[in-house]
Amino acid sequence: MKFVYFHLMPYPYLPDDFDEAYPSPSLTFPNKHFDRELGNKLYHRYLDELEYAEQLGFDGIAVNEHHQSAYGLMPSPNIMAAALARRTERAQIMVLGNAIGIRGNPLRVAEEIAMLDHLTNGRVVSGFVRGIGWEYFAHSVNPTRSRDRFNEAHDLIIKAWTSDEMFQWISPNYEYRYVNLWPRPLQRPHPPIYIPGAGSSETIKFVAERDYTLMSVYAPSRVIGRWFDGYRQAAAAAGNTPDPEKIAFSVPIYVADTDERAHREARQHVDWLFRKGLKQGPELVFPPGYMSPSSMRGVLMSGAKPFAATSYEELLAEGYVVVGSPSTVADRLGQLQGELGFGQIIGLFALGDMPHERTIGSMELFAAEVMPALRSVP
Amino acid sequence: VTSDAADARAVGTPVEEHLDFPGGRIHLFRGGAGAPVLFLHAAGGAGTWPEFNELLARRFEVFAPDHPGFGKSDELPEVEAMDDLVYHYLDVIERLGLDRPHVVGGSFGGWIAAELAVAAPHAIGSLVLLGAAGLRLPDHPVADLFLMTPQQLGTTLYHDPVKAAAFLPADPDLDTVLAAYGDATALARFCWTPFLSNPKLARRLRRITAPTLVTWSSDDRLIPIAHGRRYAELIPNATFTVVEDCGHAMYFERPAEFGKIVVDFLAAGAEPNGASR
Repeated sequence: MKFVYFHLMPYPYLPDDFDEAYPSPSLTFPNKHFDRELGNKLYHRYLDELEYAEQLGFDGIAVNEHHQSAYGLMPSPNIMAAALARRTERAQIMVLGNAIGIRGNPLRVAEEIAMLDHLTNGRVVSGFVRGIGWEYFAHSVNPTRSRDRFNEAHDLIIKAWTSDEMFQWISPNYEYRYVNLWPRPLQRPHPPIYIPGAGSSETIKFVAERDYTLMSVYAPSRVIGRWFDGYRQAAAAAGNTPDPEKIAFSVPIYVADTDERAHREARQHVDWLFRKGLKQGPELVFPPGYMSPSSMRGVLMSGAKPFAATSYEELLAEGYVVVGSPSTVADRLGQLQGELGFGQIIGLFALGDMPHERTIGSMELFAAEVMPALRSVP
Repeated sequence: VTSDAADARAVGTPVEEHLDFPGGRIHLFRGGAGAPVLFLHAAGGAGTWPEFNELLARRFEVFAPDHPGFGKSDELPEVEAMDDLVYHYLDVIERLGLDRPHVVGGSFGGWIAAELAVAAPHAIGSLVLLGAAGLRLPDHPVADLFLMTPQQLGTTLYHDPVKAAAFLPADPDLDTVLAAYGDATALARFCWTPFLSNPKLARRLRRITAPTLVTWSSDDRLIPIAHGRRYAELIPNATFTVVEDCGHAMYFERPAEFGKIVVDFLAAGAEPNGASR
């Protein structure tokens, strides 16, 4: 089992009337609520936590990209990865990922990841995401072109990393007359690719056929099981036998010394994550054309409840989050591994408005007592 | 044109027809008799024959196609931007055998109508813009309908709260929701950015030669009435009228008033403008 410490870098200091006054912490939540001094301290606290995760023995430390949101403070994940690059020595630095669907200039992503590969001495992992629906509003990118832009940008970046000759790139959304990447990445043929799957069978097939790592996103474990099964089937159909770690289970985790204490402490932060951080209507999540008609039908037919209508107990029972004592968390993750068949856990530890000390306590217990119990699984 | 019901073209019973294009089929309604009117629907209303169309059809022969990707028309891969839509409607006019039809467009369809009149001024008889999108006026921004909940959209579109409340069924079925998402997707394809506008349109409006009527609702909360005044200033030979106590839903909210204004304008200009088939 491979263990990754993932950070969202949330901005936890929401106003008291947030629940009544604002439809979401994203896109239109006024930036006057970003306190400059508190925000400044947050960045350093969160980077400290990521660096500490390497010391605790996590195999990877991961950042991601969000725009115009208190849910996550990393519009540029590559800057965060650069900040970590020379402060760490062993862990993979994972950018999960660059939102190439909304980039005006995806060649810049190829350049920055190639630079990061050198700064990290070959430890960078390159995730690619489409960007969440609201980010198509935030960066004025037409969501009806999202999938085409993602696919074209991906193909361009891979070719830019692997080509030994200058080439011309012309596709419906991008035109480059001279692609000639300096520097080339350090890793051969290129840094490992991670892509989150959120139910689209097209995406899961795309990831499996290329032998990339598939990451889950917030969902009930029974739904994630279908995605992972789809990955294994598509990989087999493509003649691939994927390494177990190429199926990665992403999950918020909280560990304390007893179950009772873990739940007492975690509940408010889990609530923050799902009821405030992820407070967002379908207008924000599914702008027109972001979903294909068949994917949208699948979403509507799945009958999934909005996060705000899902109780803490349901979140636990359905495998959205894992909370408890070290032995409870190890047992639960082992049980989920048996059901889902993953070889990598991407854990979120700084949950919502969780303070630094609590975050540190949870990740220390996880590293000391949960990781050893699961290390040899599968 | 494929039609097996030519004799059904009586008022009140529009005929549904299809036109084949390289990328798929376009659906249209045809109803009434008289000088030809090409009606270009708004973002809402595709695939329907509302009362307003019926009122026009009492005096004119009305052709009401669904735009590519809307209503019962296929998405045409070759029609991906406003300039493609203009060529598309020049093709539609030719395929229907219309000679200088009157062109009536509402909201998004009004934008298409204005672009068509700019690109081919002599191809249309007269022009009617109803609450038309298309202009970029930074001081009078168009409200972001894509960010609205269905309830917010209802209260934005209708001045009358009762009609706003009736805008959406209480518990829409899956196909209704998917059809609305499909129409929104078709709209977004053409107008996400620049948002519901062509920055070059304003300076091109001087090309329009057709007699033009610009009509706006007094309480348009989607496209501010300043857009209407600007259209009327920039289009030579344009008349500007306002319908009171009405929202952007226009001919859905007050079909009789809009119907009378448009029919009177077209009827007065029909002969001199030479609209015929």
